[in-house]
Amino acid sequence: MSEDLESRLRAALRPVAPGDEFTRNLIARVTKDQGPEANARGARGRSSKPSAWWLSASMAASLLIAAGVQHHLQERRETQRGLEARRQVIEALRVTSQKLNLAYEVIKSESSPRADDEPGV
Amino acid sequence: MNEAAPGFSDEQLAKARSGDTAALGSLIQAHQRSVYSLALRMLGTRELAEDLTQEVFMQLNGSLKSMASNTHLQFWLRKVTTYRAIDQLRRRSRIEMTPLDDEAPLVSTADGGDPLLQRHLQRLLLELSPPARAVLLLRYQEDLDPIDIARTLDMPINTVKSHLKRSLEILRQRTPHPERSRCEDQST
Repeated sequence: MSEDLESRLRAALRPVAPGDEFTRNLIARVTKDQGPEANARGARGRSSKPSAWWLSASMAASLLIAAGVQHHLQERRETQRGLEARRQVIEALRVTSQKLNLAYEVIKSESSPRADDEPGV
Repeated sequence: MNEAAPGFSDEQLAKARSGDTAALGSLIQAHQRSVYSLALRMLGTRELAEDLTQEVFMQLNGSLKSMASNTHLQFWLRKVTTYRAIDQLRRRSRIEMTPLDDEAPLVSTADGGDPLLQRHLQRLLLELSPPARAVLLLRYQEDLDPIDIARTLDMPINTVKSHLKRSLEILRQRTPHPERSRCEDQST
């Protein structure tokens, strides 16, 4: 019975061919992909692959460098702004100090007793 | 049947590898029956089988350079076809299948066998799980032994054997025995 079923299965599962039109289309499609033009296309594709890789790699590197330079310039600008602010504060302090000194001198000179003002003279 | 497909030699394969389109055409003609039949009986419809056959040969075109021999090529075709078919069946847990009666002949009746019985076996085959179906097809359509089936499907040999045993049991239970049917016919 088992052998009988197996032989019936073999008979039922004998390979069948697809339609002729399908076969023709299949061969045309696959061989078209392998033809000389496709080979040339493939070769171009292969040769353009590394350049595409290099292009993207160099673009990424350029972006990184640009970002680095931008960061560096910004830091430098901030440092310069800080130095300028410090210089201005020092200048302001210097001017203030001068003014105070001047005011002090005026007050001092005004408050010190003059000889002709001395009582009893 | 582990030998290479008849009508196609390793020399022709070498020509196809080097870009000879005529040799590639011969390769397709020599191997398309096996690929198409596996696809058809795995997926159940002619349309899906044709799509899968085309996909497999397009993939082969990209991998042709790595084919060492015609035997290797045949092994690769069976493996890729069954894997892709199982994948498709898993993705769509239930494919809407065209009734088998409307399909192109799924079975060959050249041996004078009972076409109704063969069609019945075909229907039962589509009810098996995709891996069990693949095992049965590789065994009875491609005539591979369990060791080669295990190698093709990357499956332990014991799993292959249990699939075969279980599937045959299911088919046996659900297939009328000709002798018994004849007796029943006579008794009525």
